[in-house]
Order: sequence, then structure tokens, then C-alpha cells
Amino acid sequence: MKLTDITREEWTTYVGLLTVEQKDELVGQQYAPDCYFNPIETAIENQWVISVEEMANCTNEEFMWVKDLPLIIYEPKPSPPPFN
Amino acid sequence: MIIGKAISPFGIKRRNGTANDADAQAFITASGISGTEATAINTLVVNLKSANIWTKMKALYPMVGGTATSCKFNLKNPVDSNAAYRLVFSGGGTFSANGYQPNGTNAYANTFLTPSTNLTLSNFHLSFYSRTLTVGTAIDIGGNGNLASYTHLRTAVNFVSGAGATTVVPFTTTTDARGFWLGTKRAANDRAVFRNNLKQNSSATSDSNTLDTLPLFLGAQNNAGTPVLYSSKQCAFASIGDGLTDAEALAFYNAVQTFNTTLARQV
Repeated sequence: MKLTDITREEWTTYVGLLTVEQKDELVGQQYAPDCYFNPIETAIENQWVISVEEMANCTNEEFMWVKDLPLIIYEPKPSPPPFN
Repeated sequence: MIIGKAISPFGIKRRNGTANDADAQAFITASGISGTEATAINTLVVNLKSANIWTKMKALYPMVGGTATSCKFNLKNPVDSNAAYRLVFSGGGTFSANGYQPNGTNAYANTFLTPSTNLTLSNFHLSFYSRTLTVGTAIDIGGNGNLASYTHLRTAVNFVSGAGATTVVPFTTTTDARGFWLGTKRAANDRAVFRNNLKQNSSATSDSNTLDTLPLFLGAQNNAGTPVLYSSKQCAFASIGDGLTDAEALAFYNAVQTFNTTLARQV
């Protein structure tokens, strides 16, 4: 499944799947002015993703390939408790 | 006969002939906003100064202009640097005339303001204006320094100012996170939480826990350097600063609500 296959309402359900090399390439880079990529690890160890917003809103010519990333349903890594 | 108007050396003249406040004008210039947004910023600054709370602010994020570049600036010091507490946005947030909305998945902003070095232990506040109803398990402004120190504000849930359970001041239970939420600590034994113009709760339990040793994140918790507990609440204003009295908290709400009402985004 690709970015063009989902509706705006489905953006929070899916994320773009990255290889480890792609993740390393995106860290510290801007996808749009004053907006940085933030690859995150899913519930599966060493599986890295970015949000659909980063894919759709990317205007950095160097990283337009993120728009073609395969989409998967997001399974978040458990967060630590928020301390009350 | 042509009648000219005087040009103020202190700021850009507005249509009514008065110059903007110099601090407001610095932000307007840096963020590139104009029209109603610029007018609203000027009024906000004037009102905060009139209420004698401008000097108590270290970071004010009005979230105007509809872009990351306009939303990143700290109204108190609109310089594009970490030292000025300018926001750096990461992940998939959305920017609009209504403010900044993190996606609840991986979006947050680094304030570069570290409580242990930039705030006073028993004299600080955090605020967040939420336009989103859903409460969720998220932190809207906060940090967690290796479990040894917590500083955070969870809209509709609580305000935490240290590491122990005694530092937690819960808001009145609600399922609606919309509004202007403020947690303030005025002394080791004087903390209070407000929603809009109402004090929701307070605590007189003595708390001398250390403050968080990491920069506060907006839209998530800084968990020993890693963002966690991502929020999806649309932020129409946020602030970090000194502790506010009850009267100052009310004046602050009035100024912020007037600001957001001018921008037709109040809740």
C-alpha cells in the first residue's frame, strides 16, 4: 500500500516503513522548512517508520523518495507510564 | 493640502496611528505575520505587560502564522536560536491558523528550556491551550530526567513538579481537554492548577524535589532524551515561566483568551 492509496482520515492508522539505512539517512534532516524527520521504532525491534504527515508534506527534493515508502499499520512500542 | 502623519521611531505604525509595542514588533518581524495576527500579538503583549506578568515569562509560544517557521518563535525572545528557546519541530505535526497539532505518533517540539537550569525550583509555571477534546495518555509539555525528576503538564489530568507522588496536583476529573490549562508552583508548599479562569485544585504539601534536568518537550515527554507519550492535542498557545499567583493566573487567562478570540480560535 502506498501514500496515494489512503485517505486523509487514515493517516493516523498508517506509517511509512523504512530500512535501517533509510532511517539513518533521515535522522537530523528536514522534510520541510523547520520540520525535521523523526524516525521511530515500532513494537517490532529494529523496525523503523515515519509518519504519513512527513511523507505527504515532504518538500525537500533530496528526500522525495519517502513519498513512495510502503505503508504498514502502526503498532506503537509501549510507552513508559506517564507518572500519574 | 496634504496632511502627513508622524512616523514613530519606535515601531511600525498601525492604522490607528499608534506604534506597536517594541517586543510585539520584534516577534511580528521575526515570524512574518501581519494583519489580524499582528494586531492580536500586539494586544497580547500590551495586556501581559499591563498585568505585570510579561516579566514572569521565559517562553511564550503564540502558534501563529500557520507554518513551522512562524510558529517556532518565542514571543519573549524571538531569536532563531536554541538559547532563545525557539522551538524545533520533529515528526508529523500540522500547522494551521488554529495553531500546531502534533500527530500523536512521532511529533513534538524541543523548547531547549531545561527546568533545572532555566527555572527556579519553587517558582515556575507551565501552560497549554488545547483545542482538542480527547484527553488520551499523553504529555503536553514535559520531561523526565531518568526517573529522578519530573516536570510536566497533562491537560485535564495533572501538573507534576518533581519526582515523588507528593508533587502531583491533579486537575478535576474531566473527559474534555479543551481550554487553557495552567500549572503553577509559587512555593515549596504552594502549587495550583487552573483551567481557564477557574482554579481546579491546589496542594500545600511541601515539595523540594529537584527539577527536570532535560529540555522540556512540547507535544511529548522528554524521557531521558527520547520523546515518548506523544500528544495529539492542537496547541493554540503555550508558555513556560515563573510561578503565577491566583490573580496573575486569571489575568494570564484573560489575555490569552482575548488573543485567541481575536483569532477566532478560542474554545
